[in-house]
Order: sequence, then C-alpha cells, then structure tokens
Amino acid sequence: MRKKKNWKLEILGILLGILWLLPFYLMFVNSFKTKKEIFTDVTSPPELWSFDNYITAFEELDFMQTLFNSLLITVSSVLLIIISSAMAAYALSRAKSRISTILFFTFVAAMLIPFQSVMIPLVTVFGQFEMLNRGGLIFMYIGFGASLSIFLYHGALNNIPRSLDEAARIDGANRWQVFWHIIFPMLKPITVTVAILNIIWIWNDFLLPSLVINQTGSETIPLKMFFFFGEYTKQWHLALAGLTLAIVPVIIFYFFAQRAIIKGVSDGAVK
Amino acid sequence: MAKLLMDQLTKTYDNKVTAVENFNLTVEDEEFIVFVGPSGCGKSTTLRMIAGLEDISAGTFSIDGKRMNDVEPKDRDIAMVFQNYALYPHMTVYENMAFSLKLKKMPKEEIKERVRNAAEILGLMEYLNRKPKALSGGQRQRVALGRAIVRDAKLFLMDEPLSNLDSKLRVQMRTEISKLHQRLKTTTIYVTHDQTEAMTMATRIVIMKDGVIQQVGTPKEVYDQPDNIFVAGFIGSPAMNFFKGRIEGDSFVMGQTKLLIPKSAMPEGRDGQEIVIGLRPEHITHKPHAQVDVLEVDLDVVELMGSEYMVYSKIEGHSFVGRVDANFELAAGTVFPMLFEMDKARFFDPETEVRIK
Repeated sequence: MRKKKNWKLEILGILLGILWLLPFYLMFVNSFKTKKEIFTDVTSPPELWSFDNYITAFEELDFMQTLFNSLLITVSSVLLIIISSAMAAYALSRAKSRISTILFFTFVAAMLIPFQSVMIPLVTVFGQFEMLNRGGLIFMYIGFGASLSIFLYHGALNNIPRSLDEAARIDGANRWQVFWHIIFPMLKPITVTVAILNIIWIWNDFLLPSLVINQTGSETIPLKMFFFFGEYTKQWHLALAGLTLAIVPVIIFYFFAQRAIIKGVSDGAVK
Repeated sequence: MAKLLMDQLTKTYDNKVTAVENFNLTVEDEEFIVFVGPSGCGKSTTLRMIAGLEDISAGTFSIDGKRMNDVEPKDRDIAMVFQNYALYPHMTVYENMAFSLKLKKMPKEEIKERVRNAAEILGLMEYLNRKPKALSGGQRQRVALGRAIVRDAKLFLMDEPLSNLDSKLRVQMRTEISKLHQRLKTTTIYVTHDQTEAMTMATRIVIMKDGVIQQVGTPKEVYDQPDNIFVAGFIGSPAMNFFKGRIEGDSFVMGQTKLLIPKSAMPEGRDGQEIVIGLRPEHITHKPHAQVDVLEVDLDVVELMGSEYMVYSKIEGHSFVGRVDANFELAAGTVFPMLFEMDKARFFDPETEVRIK
C-alpha cells in the first residue's frame, strides 16, 4: 500500500521535474542551431553543434562589460541592502518607542506600493540630481529592497533575547560591537534569505535599469538581451545563446553558495 | 574588589510606575549580598540599575566613591550572570569566555591562560570547543559563571541564576557559587525569589516588597529578629505562624484559648491591646513533660519528613504548622498535645505590621 503511494509520487515528481527543466532544455539545444533550424524543428538536438551563435552573442552583448555591470549592480545593492536593513531593523526592534513603531509600519506599508506607480516621479527626481547611472540604480535598489528585508530582519531580531545585548554590553562592547560581534552573526539564516530574494530580482530586473541606464557600456544583462529583439526581426538563435551565457554566473554562484544556503535555511529551522 | 553605595536610589518608569523607591544600602568589600522578595518587588530592577542596564531616575549609585549613574555598563567593571544564561549561541564555550577579554585587546596568551584557569575551576575543560547548544543546563550555567570569572571584575551581579535548573542541580550549584565566592572574594550581589538561596548564601540579605526595602541583615538576624510581618512570613520554610489576639495581663488570648507569656518576653505597655504573635514551626512542638502553654489540638495533616513530622492544625480559626520529632507514631485525625513556646514568640502591631521590640 505504502510502496504504491511512493511510486505514484515518484512519477509525479519526475513529471514535474521534466516540466521544470523543459524550458532549459529548449534554450540550450536551440542556442546551438541556426535561426532557420529553430523554426523548422524546435525540440530536436541540432544537426551540428556549432558555437557560432555564442561567439556572435558574446561579441554583440559586449558580454564581459555587461556581466561586470550586472555583477557590480547586484553585488553592491545586495551588500548595501543587507548592511543597512539589518542595522535599521536592529535599531527598530531594540528602541521601543512610538516613532520606531511608526517607522517600522511605514517600511511595511512601502512593500504594498506597486513599483509602476512611483517609477515616473522617481526617474524625474533622480534625473534632476544627475543620478540616472549605475550608482543611482544601486541607490534605488537599496530603497526598493529595504522594506522586505527590514521586515524579515525585524521578525528575527524580536526572537533574539535582549539579555544577549545586555550581556555583551556588560562584557565591554559598545553598540556597534554588540551588533557586529553578537547580533549580526546570529542573523545568518535571515541574511541568506534576504540575499537570495534580492539577488534574484535585481539580477533579472529589466524595467528599472531600462529607465535609469541610458549610456552604452553601462547596461545590465537583461537590458542588453533586448538588443536581439528588434521591431522587425527577432534573433532567437543569438538571444538563446546570450540567455545561456547569462545564467552561467547564476549557476556558478549557486554551485559555490549552495552549502551555505542550505545550511542557512536549515539553521533557521532548527533552533 | 569594591565598596558600593546606593543612596536613595529610585526608579520611575515613563508611565509613572515606581519600581524602586528610596533604596539605601552600603555594601562592603567582599560581601555576598542577596536581594530577595516576591516577583515584582523591584529586586531585579535595582540590580539592573547597578549594572547600568536601566537608568537611575533619582538618587546616586557609586562604586569606591565614584559616581556611576551616567557611566556606561562597559565602563563599570562589573560582570553579570543572567537568568537565561545569555550565552552567545554562535560562539564556542572558549569564545564565550574570551569575548570580553578580546574586546579589551588582551594578548592571546593571557586570554588563553585566564580562560583555562576559569574552565579548570568550573570543570569545563573538556567542553571548551562545544557550542552552548550542545551543553546541559548546569554546564551552561557554569559557562555563564566562567564568563564572569575571567573578567576579574570588581563586582559580580547575578540575576536569579539558578531558577532554570532542576532542584537537585540548584542545590549543587548553590554550594559551588558559595565556594567560588570564598575563593575569589569578589563583592557579589545576587537576586533571587527563593528564600532558601538567600539564607544559605548571603552574608547579608536585603528583603524587598513593592519596591521598598523591608529589612537588611544577616540571615540569622532576619530569621530571628524580623522587622515586620512580611519579613517574618517570607523568610523561613515552612513560614512563620501568625495568631491574632489580645494581651490580657500576663497572657495572650484568642477566643477561648489562653497562652501564658513569660515576663521576659512580654511586650511593654500593650495590656488590653490587639496584637499579632508569630511563632516559627519549630517553636510549636511536643515536649513530653511540658506543663504550661500546652494545647490539645486536632491534627489535620501529618507529614513525615524523615527525622521529624510537620503537623498541620488549627486553633481558633488560625491554621498553623508545627514540628515534632519523629521518635513515635503520629497520625492525622488524632488529638495531640502541642507546646507553644511563648518565650520564642515575636509580637507585631496588627495595624502597622511592625514588630514590637
């Protein structure tokens, strides 16, 4: 009885897995085909495994520069989000006053505001300060990423007993040392969560960079990818090769970080 | 080593609640002071003011003549043990103990030596590389003590450090803390709600109620000479028995019952007045040949404690507990002669609840 149930689940799991991986398969095999080949047969492997598409895409995308831009923007934004949100949440959770409550709910409320409703004024204001560049973009990401991150950190911080802060203060630590030596290391599981959530959306974000970045050489990967989709021609073969290139860094990141990610998540689960 | 002075220490919260009022106390070097009282009596708040974790609303607190009111906790040179141990969960036992020394930028070799010394005293040598998660409650408590010891601080503060331990371990740790104090001689302030801990560990006890000191004295003093009904009832287990009645001539009278008071014990100028007498359980007992102040009482409950019985009974509507040596059989439901040792009685004013001396 029990065995039968497991067997069914297994089938279901395999089916779901195939469904999940299918787009990756299509992206991968078609990135080696010519444009004509793609339109005649989408699903089968290419007749000739040619790297021509990759070479062209690599050049057209100015891949190293674009990758650098994406990395610069994602890594700096996420680092700054982690640092500022963790510190802000710490202050908000430890200072119990009416102002801190109001501030906290302001951050929470900010999560509900749709990005589209603020994007035009935001770009206008940033334009006046000449901040429509990579630096300005990072600054905006801190603002957009902070509210959810503060919310997550705040919840975790409320579960860390204040007596730990007090013990550290009596041990001779000032506020800064209490935070960095005692509190921040204990927030590791949440930091991992915050990092993953923010990396995903910032790395893949198209709309905000498209509004902010208008100099050649500063574009991120999703932005450059748009280059292959002209008004009249869609260069699928190059776009797919470019997309495959674009997910390579993410896979490398996951490969190295996976132990830390899994540990972070399970550390948070087992208290 | 430190001498402390608390002069009219007061703590008032924003919502106008006064947690501690006019707290006056001088603590001499090497003393082991215990603050004891029911929960909410302000003992922990006072300790936290001493630690600097709570602002002082009024009054002065000084260590060795130096005013400490506005000094940061880290600069007060004190060590504190918390009720929930407050060990840093991401650090090993060694790192927990070394943390304060690292902050002081002490050389690595010295840190190592100090931590090893403390670990040896507390029997923690084999656990130095473990995280707090992997320790039992008693071991965590030891680490918390170790963290205080390595500091070599002027003053130890302990906030109900044993209340999370089971009763057997509590008794064991109690003696260990006492031994530790005899060895290190660091001035210590210890907060508890357990009067047994207070009695067994303290050089002096401070009994508090509703934010106000009720009495300060050695364990013997507060046990034998309680200042008021609260102290008399709080210190000692089982608690002191109280009987309300009236002085008539040379006797204490309640309802139909009359107990003769020896001349030496009789309070002056109270003839004909209402009074409360307090008798400890060991002073309501059985002596084979006693003649005076012996009452026949119905035994409601008899508990055999091994070498003695605790007997529970009632006279004139007042419940009381007595103590009888267990060298014969005694059963509930029987009538038994009990001796009320009136020369040991304490007298209290029923209005003010203060002891009449």
